[in-house]
Amino acid sequence: MLARVANNLFWMGRYIERSEHLARYLNVNYFSSLDAPNELSQSSDFVLRSIMFMASGEIIDSKINLKEEDVLFNVGLNTEKSYSIKQSFNAAYENARSSRDLISTELFESINRINHSIKNYDPEAFVKNGLYDFTTMITKSTAEIRSKIKGTLLHDETYAIIMLGIYLERALQVTLIINSKCSDASVEKNEYKGTLLEDGSHVWSTLLKCAFSYDMMRRLYKKTPIKKNTLEFLILNEDCPRSIKNSLNQTKKYIGILAKHQKITPKSAAFLIGKINCEFEYKQIDDIEENIEEFISDLINKLVVIGEKLDDNYFKVTNHIPKTNELTPQIQKQ
Amino acid sequence: MEKTIELPLFSSYEYNSNFYDELFSKNNEVREIYKTLFKLFSQYSVNEFNSLNERAKESFFNLGITFQVYGENSVQEKIFPFDLFPRIIEEKEWINIEKGVLQRSKALNHFLWDLYHDQKIIKQGIVPLDLISSSENFIEQMKGLDPPEGIYNHISGTDLIKHSDGNYYVLEDNIRCPSGVSYVVGNRTAVKHALFGIFNKYNTHRVVDYGANLLEIMESVKPKGVDNPVCVIITPGVYNSAYYEHSFLAKQMGIDLVEGRDLFVENDFVYKQTIYGPKKVDVIYRRIDDLFIDPLAFRPDSLLGVPGLFSVYQKGNVCLVNAPGTGVADDKAIYTYLPEIIKYYLDEDSILSNVHTYHCSRKNELSYVLENIDKLVIKPVDESGGYGISIGNKLTKAEIQKVRDTVKANPRKYIAQPIMSLSTHPTYIEETRSFEPRHVDLRTFTLLGKDKEYVLKGGLSRVALRKGNLIVNSSQGGGSKDTWVLKS
Repeated sequence: MLARVANNLFWMGRYIERSEHLARYLNVNYFSSLDAPNELSQSSDFVLRSIMFMASGEIIDSKINLKEEDVLFNVGLNTEKSYSIKQSFNAAYENARSSRDLISTELFESINRINHSIKNYDPEAFVKNGLYDFTTMITKSTAEIRSKIKGTLLHDETYAIIMLGIYLERALQVTLIINSKCSDASVEKNEYKGTLLEDGSHVWSTLLKCAFSYDMMRRLYKKTPIKKNTLEFLILNEDCPRSIKNSLNQTKKYIGILAKHQKITPKSAAFLIGKINCEFEYKQIDDIEENIEEFISDLINKLVVIGEKLDDNYFKVTNHIPKTNELTPQIQKQ
Repeated sequence: MEKTIELPLFSSYEYNSNFYDELFSKNNEVREIYKTLFKLFSQYSVNEFNSLNERAKESFFNLGITFQVYGENSVQEKIFPFDLFPRIIEEKEWINIEKGVLQRSKALNHFLWDLYHDQKIIKQGIVPLDLISSSENFIEQMKGLDPPEGIYNHISGTDLIKHSDGNYYVLEDNIRCPSGVSYVVGNRTAVKHALFGIFNKYNTHRVVDYGANLLEIMESVKPKGVDNPVCVIITPGVYNSAYYEHSFLAKQMGIDLVEGRDLFVENDFVYKQTIYGPKKVDVIYRRIDDLFIDPLAFRPDSLLGVPGLFSVYQKGNVCLVNAPGTGVADDKAIYTYLPEIIKYYLDEDSILSNVHTYHCSRKNELSYVLENIDKLVIKPVDESGGYGISIGNKLTKAEIQKVRDTVKANPRKYIAQPIMSLSTHPTYIEETRSFEPRHVDLRTFTLLGKDKEYVLKGGLSRVALRKGNLIVNSSQGGGSKDTWVLKS
């Protein structure tokens, strides 16, 4: 497979996953605030700041007054914002277009059709009453795309590269969501200084819902979500398909397909993915919970380095300029 | 004489008896081969057909069979206009077309070999030297070079029209990078989906095997010493208007679609950059024009090509499909010599007729052209896509004078032909929600390889969507139709 096309497929997977996480975060946070337990978490400003933090990574200055319509538009459909869902999905589409000869017609057709729906979504309708409809459409669409990836492609290197993109991005997005909700919890804790119910279950329920994991967590723990069991489930439960550990296990599986005929050298992507999986094998939630900010920051750095190594190892296209004196064509004289 | 047919979808169908109408005969009857199809279409209400048409367009859109139009602030994605009413060609008629286009492709291949070697045809005075020496498409570096298996024009596109006498005439030969074959397959798929039952009543040759045949042709011209050739298609990239076609063909053949930056030259071989390192490439179907394939050999400002590629080709270590320099033979001035070229190399009479052509480079013909521009079509010899064509009877006096001045200033650059009566075919016009006659031509696709030849049984019927317009090219607002070649 061409290195350039492999890069396209990898980023197609990443952008599809990113679009879904953003859409779900927008949906769950906005609507869960409507039945939040206290004034702060019900407040529109608090929710909008949380959404902006997750989407753009920016902490918005508290003096800036956020307008709901602006935030929803920016995160949903603003093509001038690189973090918007529309831009993210369009990037998935452009990457798919550049590699459409390698993917199935069915998969490309889905991506193309969904991209048209997003492109033509009326921004006015979206900010007025289309938030639920739009974000639900994105989550359903990305599920359809993943099903086409799984059901119509050969499970070979092409598939492994797309899945690597999906799972690396999933690990990153879940980490960012945890970061964002931990930050919300911390703001709430400071605001109410201990008057809050134990650990504020609302914020952890919302976190689980943001990762499609609420029902399964309740089924497994049979307890109200609190910080510790929520983080344990989302970070360390290898059976939860949205957990970081599960995502890392999957990246290990797919790098294994890609690197099966290669020697694993230290500092290669395969080595780093193997190493991070080993670290997770022996992690305890007590260690993580105590230093969650440090854990998140360290994990994000490691995921970024893995992405860079994948680029170095598999996707690099270098400019080869042959020596001109050797290659100047011989013009035959008459 | 204007005639009117009274049927709901055909209520605006007023065909002009000066043209050959593919659906109706001169005595106002539906032609035999169209009867079943006509009956089917007559059963649709306007609304039913309209929704069928919309669904077909939607399917093209969803499949990404589109091109992009770049505006100042936005990019619009458009489908190539497609008409659901197919064109039908009977097998006996097709056999003649097939033999004719194959004959032309073979003769052109001999001609190219001769031009780049001994130039016997020029020395014997059959084709004038000045036509070759003045051609911008003659590539000096190709002189004396033997392309693998002696094939230059592996892929040829021949444009035909059906004149008012009911006979096919060749409008032009395209042997650089003829495009459109993906729409042949796309159109067939759309018609199958919309009119699935009809294929039980029409036993039609399939068109889906083009990709497999093209791959066989590519593999047959592998460089010497290669057992299992690695073939690729090179594209200018996703922003090229034919990108859909490039990716379609790559997918059909299961080969890589590369860009210039994916390939590099080292030690006289071409390599592609894969996830596991460099891999040698043996045959390249290039959809990049000659001058852009290698910045070291041709245009140094080309970012699309591969530095050093032509040198590898010269050493016989890679095969380029089509060979560089084929454009010299599809020059519209050379076209007029095709009957003589066929006779010279194959010792056969031309199976398909040419449209009579006036060379503006010949003094007596130039004066005729300058006096009769209103009755002629004036074409630049080296353009494609319908660009630069003037149709005399559509021009104002001032425009005629302007054309006259342009031709006078550079006579070698122009030829002129009588205004041909392209046949008309029923075409659904969305504005009137009914079928109307529109002019059509037919582009056929011929492949030549080592011990193998192939003609796609169908081709692309291109239709001029504007009433009375004779230019069918998509770049000029033309659409296309599925073309059925019936099995006898």
